[in-house]
Amino acid sequence: MQPITLNLVIIDNAGRTYFDWGQEMADLTAGKAENHRPVAVLTQVEKTYHLDSISVPVIKGVDIVVRRACFTVLLGPSGSGKTTLLNMIGCIDRPDKGEVIVAGCKVDDLTDDALSDFRANNIGFIFQNFNLLPVLSAYENIEYPLLLAGASAKKRGERVPRLLNAVGLGDKAGNLPGQLSGGQRQRVAIARALARKPKLVIADEPTANLDSQTGASILALMRQMVDRYQISFIFSSHDPEVIKAADDTIFLKDGAIEGIRRKGEKVAEGAA
Amino acid sequence: MMTLNLAVRNLLRNRRRSLATLLAMAIGSTSILLFGGFSANINYMMHTHHVQTSGHLQIQHDDFYLYGSGNPTAYGITDYARMIADIQNDEVLRNMVLVATPNLQFGGIAANYAANVSRTIIGNGFVAADINRMRLWNDFDLSTRAPPSALEGAPADAAVIGTGVARVLQLCDALKIVDCSRPKKEDKIGGMMLPDDIAQLSLLEAPAKAPAAAGSPPRIDVLVVNTQGAPNVTSLEVIRAEDQGIKELDEVFLMMNLAQLQKLIYGKGPSRTTSIMIQLRHSYQIPAARERLTAILAKYSASQPLAVLDFRQLNPFYVQTMQMFDTLFGFVFMLIGGIVLFTVSNTMNTSVVERTVEIGTLRAIGLRRAGVRNLFVTEGALLGLSGAVLGVVLALLLSVIINRIGMPWRPPGNVELMPFTVTVWGENRMIFGTTFGLICIAILSAWWPAHRAARLDVVDALRHV
Repeated sequence: MQPITLNLVIIDNAGRTYFDWGQEMADLTAGKAENHRPVAVLTQVEKTYHLDSISVPVIKGVDIVVRRACFTVLLGPSGSGKTTLLNMIGCIDRPDKGEVIVAGCKVDDLTDDALSDFRANNIGFIFQNFNLLPVLSAYENIEYPLLLAGASAKKRGERVPRLLNAVGLGDKAGNLPGQLSGGQRQRVAIARALARKPKLVIADEPTANLDSQTGASILALMRQMVDRYQISFIFSSHDPEVIKAADDTIFLKDGAIEGIRRKGEKVAEGAA
Repeated sequence: MMTLNLAVRNLLRNRRRSLATLLAMAIGSTSILLFGGFSANINYMMHTHHVQTSGHLQIQHDDFYLYGSGNPTAYGITDYARMIADIQNDEVLRNMVLVATPNLQFGGIAANYAANVSRTIIGNGFVAADINRMRLWNDFDLSTRAPPSALEGAPADAAVIGTGVARVLQLCDALKIVDCSRPKKEDKIGGMMLPDDIAQLSLLEAPAKAPAAAGSPPRIDVLVVNTQGAPNVTSLEVIRAEDQGIKELDEVFLMMNLAQLQKLIYGKGPSRTTSIMIQLRHSYQIPAARERLTAILAKYSASQPLAVLDFRQLNPFYVQTMQMFDTLFGFVFMLIGGIVLFTVSNTMNTSVVERTVEIGTLRAIGLRRAGVRNLFVTEGALLGLSGAVLGVVLALLLSVIINRIGMPWRPPGNVELMPFTVTVWGENRMIFGTTFGLICIAILSAWWPAHRAARLDVVDALRHV
């Protein structure tokens, strides 16, 4: 593998530094720090949108490493490229240039079906508008990814109630999304995202459509999920509460990384 | 199962739109089935009529069907009584054959000397009792029954003629025919239409005849050519005039007892028939019966070439009519299928647009493109299935109502008013064919929107407002 220089320092919750400026990707993939392998690595990623005859570069040569079992927040003004980056990390969009490795897999070369399967097995999604299937109950929405995976009825019967209880909706199993409040819907969405024990959960402004109290409770729930299931969460958000709760904050501006901050530290300048 | 479950719920989500599409399909399906039921009923009526009047199969001289009308008696079948006995005693045919009866066709001239009129006729000699037994055949359980022939129990010299023959021979009053027109210049045409030979024969016959008593059936004289080529005349008592429905046939029709006709044509020599009519219990027995008949007839074929023809071969008009109905059915199916195609397609397209974000979500959480496509195709198939099944139920209900009402109508070529009936129940091939066809159309209609949904870019779909 061609050595790739990483431009990001990540220190885990225990305070161990396992990537340093200039550390090579080869070290990363060789399993030297298996326990600390990042869940996603984006290398020199570029993306340009073409609107009629106008080309709009939205991501300009970005490198990102997303730590395992951490809260990572993409922060930046509108149009800074947060959602596009999330989409690429979530494997629902492909970069024009650069490389995306998620859960140890180079996803750029996967076929559409393989990518679908990869998402189903490794990535959970939480959307700003919850995006629950309106015709399915809370229980069935959580069960759906398990059905997609071909999980047995027994396994589904064990896992779904556990997830419902974990998000505090044990008594709302039969409710349709339309019969739930915004906060409850987002809780169902979180449970759905966690249904297949993904390695990474993508959350695009998950608290944007919630009042502050509900947003705080959702944030606490996600934090709890990170701690309980050791799953990586990556958000895009403007919510100061989300940023406060983040382990790592990546500041974006005009499609480039402006800086990175790990919890309790100042922004690392010139990361991009 | 998951796809089916989701598809059902998605259809129920927008009940009004699904119901509208369902109704459009159901009405389409009902229309197709009712038309098919009407067509089936016409088929059964014609089928029954032909089987009642000429049997399922006829044994004829090999050339009679194509050339016999020129000189029917030249194609007579000898030994017909023994053939009929063989057929009736055959261990296989015994259980299939209801009636095996001879028929003698002839061409001649009928005249009413009292009115000085005559006309050419095409007549048939039957065994009246057999004819009435044949008229009881009703394998399709039709509500209308053919009236028995008046020949049975009538004198040996009785005849039944077409109302057209009665009109031309000016027998309307004598036969008490309602709505029978009379010539306006009746007195001036007297004597001008009587051919010389008939007139001379009439003179020979006339003294022997007693004048018809008032109120007794009128008599006509029928001239035929016997097997030696000589003219032969007989006087027949016209016991009834029956409208044959088709003017051309009605104006030449004459029916009389076989024995009387054979005496007229063959004299004291060995009698023949132009055909043996065979009526089976069921129409589906035709191939088996034909095969058996061919074997039985082999021993008679050495002296005379024989052919076994079924009623479809003998009545090409029936086949053409049913082919026309089949074509019309196909045309109606295509028209309604086109409407269904666009209706379902429109519904599915709207559904795809409305559910774009949902499609993006499904794709994001791992559903493959094929899964999305299957979901929408399943919805289309369910719409098709539900609409077609509802259509079948509606068609069955409506057919019962229509048949109960029995609205009178007169089919072309028919004399009597018939109840307008449609046969849907029991037409399994039509029902399943229509249902299957409409489901296929619905799937086809859903295919393109489903394909479009499957091709949606996940990011664009999630961004859709």
